[in-house]
Amino acid sequence: MRSAFAVFAAVLVGIAAGFGSAWLVLDNGQLLSRTEYDYWFGNEKAGSTAADPYTRGIIAKIGLLALNRSETIYFHRYKDQDGRQLREGCVYEMSGGNLPARWWSITAYAGDDFLPVNGDGAYSVDATQLQRDADGRWRVRIAATRGDAANWISTRHAGSFNLALRMYNPDAGARDDVSTIPYPTITRLNCSEGHA
Amino acid sequence: MKRLIKYAVLAFAVAVVTHLATVLAAPYVLMDVAMARVSKADGINHWTHPPRTTETSRKVVRPSPDLAYSACVYDLDGGPVHVTASAWDDYMSVSVFAHNSDNIFVINDRQAPQGVDMIIVRKGEPHPPGAALVVESPSRRGIVLQRRVAPTQERWEAANAARRHDICEQLKS
Repeated sequence: MRSAFAVFAAVLVGIAAGFGSAWLVLDNGQLLSRTEYDYWFGNEKAGSTAADPYTRGIIAKIGLLALNRSETIYFHRYKDQDGRQLREGCVYEMSGGNLPARWWSITAYAGDDFLPVNGDGAYSVDATQLQRDADGRWRVRIAATRGDAANWISTRHAGSFNLALRMYNPDAGARDDVSTIPYPTITRLNCSEGHA
Repeated sequence: MKRLIKYAVLAFAVAVVTHLATVLAAPYVLMDVAMARVSKADGINHWTHPPRTTETSRKVVRPSPDLAYSACVYDLDGGPVHVTASAWDDYMSVSVFAHNSDNIFVINDRQAPQGVDMIIVRKGEPHPPGAALVVESPSRRGIVLQRRVAPTQERWEAANAARRHDICEQLKS
């Protein structure tokens, strides 16, 4: 009787450990860092039929219905220029120039991988709507408040957030070698108390 | 002691099997959830045209607020499915995702400037006569997704009007 109970307990522990460890892996998009440039990371197998079970599982969990790389290049970013988690309580400046794609956008997602619930309607910037400097470069304020910024992504109520860079119909050079992409830089400017 | 090791080995073996089974099953389960959500309003083999993406859009993770999405859950049980998507004057694509979440096909407006007209059949099944574009699905069910770049309210309304007559339905014999 005692040994039957022990077997039952061992099986239960095994199921819990196996399921829990699998869910932890699938829920952690940062494990996808097959290719990483300045904390922007992606996986060339995203959406493809050649994806291994872990890549397929992670993509299904954090980016279901993603297109393959021939159509779209996706990169994700969870960290600032010093490797610290992006947080609602901090002000960031993102800057860059033209990206090698027909159309691109950068969107903020809350920790649950949905758009932050804040009513601001400032979830993203895209290639067609950005206000640019005379030389074509652009800057975006990523923060809970807009201030006097021309371009703004609101992170109000986003908590620990992350960004998704989408490049649709990427140029051949970018498709063949994603290290040639001039990734936008993200600089943490300051943080409110309690978010240092 | 020996018995304790025996139970630890058993727990470890069960953990490994459960871990692998969860990883392998996750895409199917997540697709099932997405298919149930997408087809809830308009059913199977029918385009669903959701409202503009906002913070209240919670059917599929990481939606882009700059795209007008339409989705159709296809089911090939009753035969091939006919899918059309009207032309768009900016980036537009129609993509097909199998039950395991693989992106098995995608076509964009540059490849189909007059719009998309295609038939989805079960892999290995005969192609309908006269069909110009046929996609073979390895699974009976899956999702067809349409994306149109529409970053402003005005462009979204134009996209919404453009897709109004798009078809996703069982092929009429």
